[in-house]
Amino acid sequence: MNLWTTVTLALSRLVAARTRSLLTMLGVIIGVAALLALTSIASGATSSITGSFSSLGATTVTVTGTGPGALTEADADALRGTPDVTLVATTASGRGDVAFGGDTEQLALVGVDAAYEAVQKPALSVGRFLPSFPGGAEASTVVLSTSAANALHITAAEVGQPVTVDGRVFTLVGVLDDATGFNTSGTAYVPLTAARDLFARTPYVSSVLLAATDTAAVAGVQADADAILRARYGLTADDPASFSITNPASVISTIGTVQSLLSLLLGGIASISVLVGGIGIMNIMLVSVRERTREIGVRRAIGARRGQILTQFLVEAVVLSVAGGLIGIVVGIGLSALVALIAGWALAISPVTVLLAVLFSVLVGVVFGVVPARTAARLQVVDALRFE
Amino acid sequence: MSGPVVRLLGVRREYEVGDTTTVALDGVTLSIEESEFVAIVGPSGSGKSTLMNLIGCLDRPTTGTVEVAGEDVGRLDDDALTRLRGDAIGFVFQQFQLLPQTSAIDNVAAPLLYRGERVKAARARAAEVLATLGLGDRLEHDRTMLSGGQQQRVAIARAVVTEPALVLADEPTGALDSKSGDAVLQLLESMNAEGRTIVLITHDASIAARAHRRLHIRDGRLTEAEVAA
Repeated sequence: MNLWTTVTLALSRLVAARTRSLLTMLGVIIGVAALLALTSIASGATSSITGSFSSLGATTVTVTGTGPGALTEADADALRGTPDVTLVATTASGRGDVAFGGDTEQLALVGVDAAYEAVQKPALSVGRFLPSFPGGAEASTVVLSTSAANALHITAAEVGQPVTVDGRVFTLVGVLDDATGFNTSGTAYVPLTAARDLFARTPYVSSVLLAATDTAAVAGVQADADAILRARYGLTADDPASFSITNPASVISTIGTVQSLLSLLLGGIASISVLVGGIGIMNIMLVSVRERTREIGVRRAIGARRGQILTQFLVEAVVLSVAGGLIGIVVGIGLSALVALIAGWALAISPVTVLLAVLFSVLVGVVFGVVPARTAARLQVVDALRFE
Repeated sequence: MSGPVVRLLGVRREYEVGDTTTVALDGVTLSIEESEFVAIVGPSGSGKSTLMNLIGCLDRPTTGTVEVAGEDVGRLDDDALTRLRGDAIGFVFQQFQLLPQTSAIDNVAAPLLYRGERVKAARARAAEVLATLGLGDRLEHDRTMLSGGQQQRVAIARAVVTEPALVLADEPTGALDSKSGDAVLQLLESMNAEGRTIVLITHDASIAARAHRRLHIRDGRLTEAEVAA
């Protein structure tokens, strides 16, 4: 009896007992579906996050001082000489109490210079960003993030109204659009000079933003900026520095690492359920071997060798687990598509995962089919024939 | 074939259950020639099942020699014994023992498939044999759709499809009404008339009377009560 005949025989048996087969496969179906859906959701979610990160100017390298006074205007001027840098913006950050109407919120207060808008390209939902050359009345203007505006119960119609920042009156000129992912926390942006006045510290630089010519130049700009600052402070490459330099690529690669870990974790959990499904198959196959003892005896009597009985039961277990795996793949893709549709990201099913799921179910069938199949093959013909 | 189909020489078969040893067969010597129709008669517990298992290559003797189709059963490993069984013996059981959820034709084809024949050829041969036994219109029926008599005829077709040296029938009428049982016996008689060697195991003297030669077994010993019919 060749393998194909054995497989068709096993299939017809499993179809004949379809309710039982389906219940037996259920563990593998759920396991494989979970495996596929979870890994696909993990990668869909992270690629959606990565996407919004890269839209925020993938060419900006940020130099941040790790303590007060760690960076100076002179540092910023030195960084202007970094090769492949088109624009340099400086910011001064702190916290401040922002009040409107009867509400007061403590918010992150960021003072930005004239180049900031060109470097970061903040999207606005209402109004405009801070003026490029703040002077006179323009010196006291403020832009709020959406969440800051919401916290202060500011509506679109109220843009242009006065807002109090640490006791000083500013004019609200715009509200940022959170939908692009640009700064979703509660932040108030004011001109750099106004911020320095509010913090009573001049000159004060908390970070310097360098706009590289293109994404390919980002890593070079990061290295050059590091070298320039280390040279200014007389540090070698290994010394601890009072500044840190980040670029969007490093954030994206961190997200990538998180995704791999997340996929591994979720995949691991789902794999355990496939294994549990395999144990279910083994259990039913053991029962089946007992129930079919007489049949095994008859098959042995009419000429089936031990190896042929072993193959028959092993094939049945593998057919069960593979059928379960295939159903699981269909269910898993369906679930992933549903989640992708609801979450609004692209459906991400990797063919490698599907292939792995199939291989995994074959493996589960073989591993958990061996014990029942050996039990069947080892039966003594005489005893099996007499079995009631 | 030269020589006897079955030859037993001083066969003893013991079973060990716990610490006690039971002797099921002792000092059995017999020879069955080609084209014989032999009945082995004995009450239950007489050792006739043990004798059937030995003749049917399902078991090996504790001591003594069992030869089937010229092969010394005691010298064969399990696979070789299974091959000999598949080639030389056709079994007919009391409870028919058709394979469940399997059509008549696939039941009959099964021994051929286990021998390595191709599905198409095996099914064609099975259909042929079933047709000669009057079951040409029942090929795709499984055992739940067949009467007892029909099931036993399918079982007989399965037993002879491999052209075995010996058909071993264990109480073949035991689960049938007298009419169907008689039909089965007539079938075995006509097969014997065509030259097939048949060994019938029964506790029923009236059925044993249909055979040409009867061997009585009692307490594990074959009594020399061989009476030509």
